[in-house]
Amino acid sequence: MPVPILKQGDCLIASIQSALTDADLLELRDELSERVGRYRSKGVIIDVTVLDVLDSFASRTLRTMAEMIRLRGAETVIVGIQPEVAFSMVQLGLSLDGVTTVLDLEEGLAHLDRSRRARVAHAGG
Amino acid sequence: MSRTPVDDVCVAIRSDADVVAARSLGRSLAEQHGFGTTDVTMIATAISELARNILKYAHEGEIVVETVERGSMSGVSVVARDDGPGIPDVGLALQDGFSTANSLGLGLPGTRRLMDEFEIVSAPGSGTVITAIKWRR
Amino acid sequence: MAATRQRVHADDLADSIGLGSEELAMRKRFLEFDDDDVQRLEGMYGLTHEHVDAVIEAFYEHLLSFPETTSFFRDPRLLEHVKGRQKNYFIRLTQGDYDHDYVTDRLRLGSIHERIGLPVRSFLGMYAFYLRQIAALLVQEHPGDPEHAFQKFHSLTKLLFFDIGLGVDMYIHQRERTIAVQQDAIRELSTPVLTIRDRLLVLPIIGILDTSRAQQLTEELLRSIRESRAQVVILDVTGVPAVDSAVANHLLQTVEASRLMGAQVIVTGLSASVAQALVTLGVDLTKLNAVGDLQGGIEVANGIMRYQVVAIDDTIPEVVDAGPDPEAG
Ligand SMILES: Nc1ncnc2c1ncn2[C@@H]1O[C@H](COP(=O)(O)OP(=O)(O)OP(=O)(O)O)[C@@H](O)[C@H]1O
Ligand SMILES: [Mg+2]
Repeated sequence: MPVPILKQGDCLIASIQSALTDADLLELRDELSERVGRYRSKGVIIDVTVLDVLDSFASRTLRTMAEMIRLRGAETVIVGIQPEVAFSMVQLGLSLDGVTTVLDLEEGLAHLDRSRRARVAHAGG
Repeated sequence: MSRTPVDDVCVAIRSDADVVAARSLGRSLAEQHGFGTTDVTMIATAISELARNILKYAHEGEIVVETVERGSMSGVSVVARDDGPGIPDVGLALQDGFSTANSLGLGLPGTRRLMDEFEIVSAPGSGTVITAIKWRR
Repeated sequence: MAATRQRVHADDLADSIGLGSEELAMRKRFLEFDDDDVQRLEGMYGLTHEHVDAVIEAFYEHLLSFPETTSFFRDPRLLEHVKGRQKNYFIRLTQGDYDHDYVTDRLRLGSIHERIGLPVRSFLGMYAFYLRQIAALLVQEHPGDPEHAFQKFHSLTKLLFFDIGLGVDMYIHQRERTIAVQQDAIRELSTPVLTIRDRLLVLPIIGILDTSRAQQLTEELLRSIRESRAQVVILDVTGVPAVDSAVANHLLQTVEASRLMGAQVIVTGLSASVAQALVTLGVDLTKLNAVGDLQGGIEVANGIMRYQVVAIDDTIPEVVDAGPDPEAG
């Protein structure tokens, strides 16, 4: 089940549509890191709103995904972790250390927007 | 025709698609049994971890999810069974961070935290049976 | 009519703390309290009747000479009331029929003392005082016949130990009930997740934070974060009586889960000594953004949120670097 990846300006938005197998997740990881290079994207949003479970494999893959994307020059934001999912993750002992997580797509776009302005400010000042 | 309530599901675990199937079937069983969304998610996460271990360490096995009653308590039990290599030191496997696969080593101890009761029966060479129960609040 | 109702109530009291007639009979057997004792006690009626006023006055004089107990009897009406009851109590020791009504009476007495907060040691001291007084009286009454005096004294000892058992049971029962009521109250305290202003939540935690309650609070908080699209959450633990490593771990889980949903958490109300104790215990608090008090927490929250407001304001992008780092903590 491939995940649709939307290009919007210098951002990529991957919105997961249904439960993913491990293979799907790994495919998403490779696909995103490839496209970040191809489009020279600066930000990636991964929307996990529909995921009703984030187990150890999924969290680990999200972390490596963010790391790979960072090495390709873009920032990753995970959006839409549901309350129950967040709760189960911490019970399990998982954290997404080092990965930015925000409430939803809107917040994710706002976050990337802030990062973009910060970059501009740096470059200009 | 009225739908009969399911009170057990059994999923053979052979591929990563089976992991997804097991947790979604377990989830709907728990939902039907009156668990709240947080508990349902915890149960589904536990199933996912146990199924994943079967796949990773024993390559195949099965997950059985069923309703259980004890006295006035009512809940669901998840049984993960395989004929794989077994776990030589169960105490060690239950420690946070212990992994023979260079992984996070959170699956078993985490599952124990997600569920109310947790038991491992395993010996090297004779497979592994893990039973985890969550009671309805 | 009123008497009947009282009777029903009386039955309830003994039964309600598990003192059925079988249990009472068993206790008497255990103390070897038998008909001979009953007879001997009845034979002491004249003695107690004659000396009751003096004994009770002496007892309260003794009791009130301790500042600790004085405070329980500040109200003179209460004192008179209690003295009256003590006189009845004292005479009742020698009136026979140590059955159900007797037991209920003793339980009530224990219940009153517990309610006014009289410490158990003062309650026990009262029995010791009576024993001393009566021993003296018996020696006076039977000069040259210590054996007789001693037998009577033994019978009285058994009965007083029977009474002590009832009194202490009543104390325990009432304390347990109080604790149960308080626990219910704490549990029922619907956890108020307060919206201080747009996208800023405050969760004041009051009472004991055990695992099940911590889970319940976290679930509620996470739902509120989604509903109000919160950016910052302040967890105020001023009202948590004991913050140990277990509580600290619950807090860390709450912080982490909130972060996964995109909200930053500030913990307020951790006293310096608690923080030090936790660090000494080896609890890793680096993920805990702690601020002294609620007021300070709100200021920090404002700082975080103002930064974000300013940063997306087109006109002044250069303010960005001057603001506090939103990822800090
Ligand atoms: N079904 C099984 N058969 C044999 N060994 C197992 C089985 N399940 C777990 N183990 C052993 O127990 C160890 C701990 O398992 P656990 O699930 O806690 O961690 P992990 O699988 O190594 O890492 P993670 O689940 O965090 O990715 C595993 O490394 C493995 O050695
Ligand atoms: Mg595992």
